[in-house]
Amino acid sequence: MGQYALLYILFAPFIGAITLLFVSNRKALAVRLIAAAAAAVSLLASFYLFFAFDTDKGGYQFIQRFEWSKELGIAFHLGVDGIGAPLVLASSILLFAGIFVSWHIKDRTKEFYIVLLVLAAATIGVFMSLDLFFLYFFYEMSVLPMYLLLGLWGSHTKGYLSMTDPEGLKKRDSVAFLFNFGSNSKEYAAMKLTLFLSAGAILALLGILLIYKFSGLHTFDILVLREKAHFSGPLADLIWLLIFFGFASIAPIWPLHSWSPVGHAAAPAATSMLHAGVLMKLGHFSIIRVAFEILPDTTRELMPIAAVLCIFSMLYGGFVAFYAKDTKYVIGYSSSSHMGYVFLGMAALDYISMSGAVLYMFAHALATSMLFAIAGWVYDQTHTRDIPSLGGLVNRMPFVAGCFLIACMASVGMPGTVNFIAEVMILVGSWNKYPFQVFVAVVGIVLTMAYLFRMMRGVFYGPMDGHYSHAHDAVAMVDRVPLVLLITCSITFGLFPGHFYKVIRAGTDPLVSRITQVTPLHAGQGVPSPQPSAVGGGVDETIQVSELKAGR
Amino acid sequence: MIFNFSMSGSDLLLMLPEILLTIWLCVVLIVDFAMPRLPKEQLAYLSVGGLVAVLLNLAWFDRAGVTGTLFNNMFVVDRLAIFFKIFIVGATALVVLISIDYVRRFRFFKGEYYFLVLMSALGMMFMASANDLLSMFITLEFSTFGFYVLVAYLRDEVSSNEAGLKFFILGVFVAGLLAYGISLVFGETGKLVFSDIASAKATPGLIIGFLLIFAALGFKIGAVPFHSWIPDTYHGAPTPVTAFLSIAPKGAAFAILLRMFFVSLATFKPAWVLLLVGASILSMTYGNIVAIAQKNIKRLLAYSGIAQIGNLLIGLAAGTKMGSDAILYYLLTYLFANLGAFAVVITVSNQIQSDEIEDYSGLNRRSPFLAFAMIMFLLSLAGVPPLAGFLGKLYIFVAAMNEGLYTLILVGLVNIVISMYYYLIVVKKMYINEPTDPSPLTVSAPMQAVIYVSLAGTVILGVYPQPFIDWVVAAGMMFSHFAAPAAAAVMPSVPPSALPFGG
Repeated sequence: MGQYALLYILFAPFIGAITLLFVSNRKALAVRLIAAAAAAVSLLASFYLFFAFDTDKGGYQFIQRFEWSKELGIAFHLGVDGIGAPLVLASSILLFAGIFVSWHIKDRTKEFYIVLLVLAAATIGVFMSLDLFFLYFFYEMSVLPMYLLLGLWGSHTKGYLSMTDPEGLKKRDSVAFLFNFGSNSKEYAAMKLTLFLSAGAILALLGILLIYKFSGLHTFDILVLREKAHFSGPLADLIWLLIFFGFASIAPIWPLHSWSPVGHAAAPAATSMLHAGVLMKLGHFSIIRVAFEILPDTTRELMPIAAVLCIFSMLYGGFVAFYAKDTKYVIGYSSSSHMGYVFLGMAALDYISMSGAVLYMFAHALATSMLFAIAGWVYDQTHTRDIPSLGGLVNRMPFVAGCFLIACMASVGMPGTVNFIAEVMILVGSWNKYPFQVFVAVVGIVLTMAYLFRMMRGVFYGPMDGHYSHAHDAVAMVDRVPLVLLITCSITFGLFPGHFYKVIRAGTDPLVSRITQVTPLHAGQGVPSPQPSAVGGGVDETIQVSELKAGR
Repeated sequence: MIFNFSMSGSDLLLMLPEILLTIWLCVVLIVDFAMPRLPKEQLAYLSVGGLVAVLLNLAWFDRAGVTGTLFNNMFVVDRLAIFFKIFIVGATALVVLISIDYVRRFRFFKGEYYFLVLMSALGMMFMASANDLLSMFITLEFSTFGFYVLVAYLRDEVSSNEAGLKFFILGVFVAGLLAYGISLVFGETGKLVFSDIASAKATPGLIIGFLLIFAALGFKIGAVPFHSWIPDTYHGAPTPVTAFLSIAPKGAAFAILLRMFFVSLATFKPAWVLLLVGASILSMTYGNIVAIAQKNIKRLLAYSGIAQIGNLLIGLAAGTKMGSDAILYYLLTYLFANLGAFAVVITVSNQIQSDEIEDYSGLNRRSPFLAFAMIMFLLSLAGVPPLAGFLGKLYIFVAAMNEGLYTLILVGLVNIVISMYYYLIVVKKMYINEPTDPSPLTVSAPMQAVIYVSLAGTVILGVYPQPFIDWVVAAGMMFSHFAAPAAAAVMPSVPPSALPFGG
């Protein structure tokens, strides 16, 4: 049974969605329960997968392979390594939490859950695909549900910084749409997101097709390609750039980020959670899985591009978040700023920073989705996301305010949460190669603290507008489940990161050593033997530092 | 050239599907005359029954591997012909089913409608088997003949008359081009059968002749720059006829195109690749960009159809066995997505009497089933996984990639994003906008059947393609000699100066 875990995780949401097609829309409770059951199967199987992952063996595990098309060289090939497993876990956690966060959606409940389940299943599919075709297949499949989720159940947004009237601009369905940047309607946000991500996806697809052709192996199988395909010269650079910028558009790296905050702000809470939590990580993950695995030498040469761009990501996102007045814009820009950290960790190509980057993806998924869930709750209660007009809600909703505080702490990277470990690993690991970026990242952390606590003060403290006296706390079980689940995971993994760390190192170590040709130092081996190091002499101490911080 | 008509009964067996259909369409006509009281729906079911019988017959041919030629190679039965015949007959059966509701609108000649549809189908079946220039001309005109009448079937509507007239005049003009092209080719080579022409030398007359033939076939499939009849004809024709016109003749024309380019012109590949690349880029870009501005769903589907033809031409431009497989697969995916979308359009227009995209507002509230079906068909046309259209496009791109047609692939990929915009606009109207008139829409039983079949096809071709890929690969086996290395080996034997485009 165990070896089929991936199939359960992937197909439970799909089967749930298909079942929902045949349920009447009037039976809202049945719809919700079926969706929750599907997500629960997926969640339990992901936990099993995560803890059953053999860290000593490493490599790709739980492999499932079915021939799909011999003519095209496509196989339905699933498997996870130490990078995929945590992200699969994060996706299922967020899906499960998202189902409960959206419990009160009244309009077209059935359609909402179908689309949400398809979105989550597609994301999970990317994280476990070992075939380029299916990686792209699931990737593109995850984009379209976003259009419906934003367009149907989303909300109009306030402007970036100004407070224009969202009703003032209505019709967005002509050719003029293309030139109408900065509109506030949810249709605009949805269309922009879809077209932007599709445009990125076709770049990546072109790269994938070039890999397919010039490897000459007549296969899309990543495991075969990484062993046997060799690319060099301008062709390798071209493929790498196509893959990198194609997938980085969803990550979103500056300057390809502009769809992201608009999309976050327009999306309903559960969608923002999945979007910020795992959809954005599809970008990093796909870059790792395709560019890092298949083009290791090019990665070593060209990854500094990411190291430069991530500076802008971190600072730009942070500063805009500081000035934004819409709660979801703040969190959205904070997400795009934090994604810069992941790029920094990846760009340094160091054992510590790379595993930190993967851990940070997981940590960020939990923290940001908490923030989005709470922003969604506040919006449902008050029907506004305008920070200046909110205030004093702590009296009305103490539980939510408490959770928000924890979420802010996690986002900032307070010790005790998994974010802390991840941040420290990224900073320490990148120090040798990119000290300036590390400095910027620390500034970014300070900024994060500033804007999150400013938002906390604006929304939950200070004088309360009498307007919001009907707002109430999350008292029902279904409303508390997602928050409690996310906080529990964040803190538990923060206090006991041992297995987590081993799982990730099992995935990142072979990858980094393949790219940098430096032999990894196995954590927990005791005194590490001196290694020839291209990164610098700091490898030994950094490991010890990170283990110290990780409380081991 | 001497024609000798020595044939036995077993030879005639090769034409069994056509003979069956001929008998059946006579039966439909006789029943219509002899039983005037019979509700016309019964005629539709009678036609579908006959088509299913023909389909079973073709399936038997396919399984048994029946092949052969008749009439001095004029009429060929091979796997490719059988594939296209199944395609055409299947499409016709679905079209007859979606016509049932619409035919009630006609004031006259309700029974003859089914007869004409079957007759066109018969013509297209012959097209799939046409193996020389003469039979190509005859079958092409035979199949178009029924359409001239069908397009103008709404006698009281100006737009339908305009559509019919435009289609007729341009069609006749193109028939002239075709006849002239054939005469030039015959004059230069003295041969008619496709495979005999293959050994001909490139002379100016031959090149002009083939260009004229390509123009005529380009008119049939609606490739830019021969597309000008498409929008008005699609718009004005009765919608089931538009659906029929948008899929079946294109399949049949591709049967001829494949035979012509891959058999007759195999040695001139470097030259015609340029021609097809040009036509493909123009079709995709023009179709997609103009589709953005459309306000009428039939016109939108017309322009999207032009763009889809551009995609199919990529496969033809690849000029390999894999390219022909990809074309066949793409046609299958296009059949289900396009016919399904038209089925939804007909259902909606029967109840709200409008084809404007604006009137699709809030379709999701009025009929969740129709809106869901439409979104699936449109996304399949746009090429979104896991639907069939995605694999169809990818198959074609892989085939083109193996031939190194990078520009074409880049243009094709960019066009996917452009097309997504206008398909999503329809999705937005259906799902996001609120309806002006919230009364629910009903779907009749035959329409439901068509939509379910199309949905099943759209999903299954996307997620479990192997049996269908096996089928198209087997169907294109006759082109297996036409692999890339063989073509490369032939290339140098053609002096570059002899090529119309300089190689």
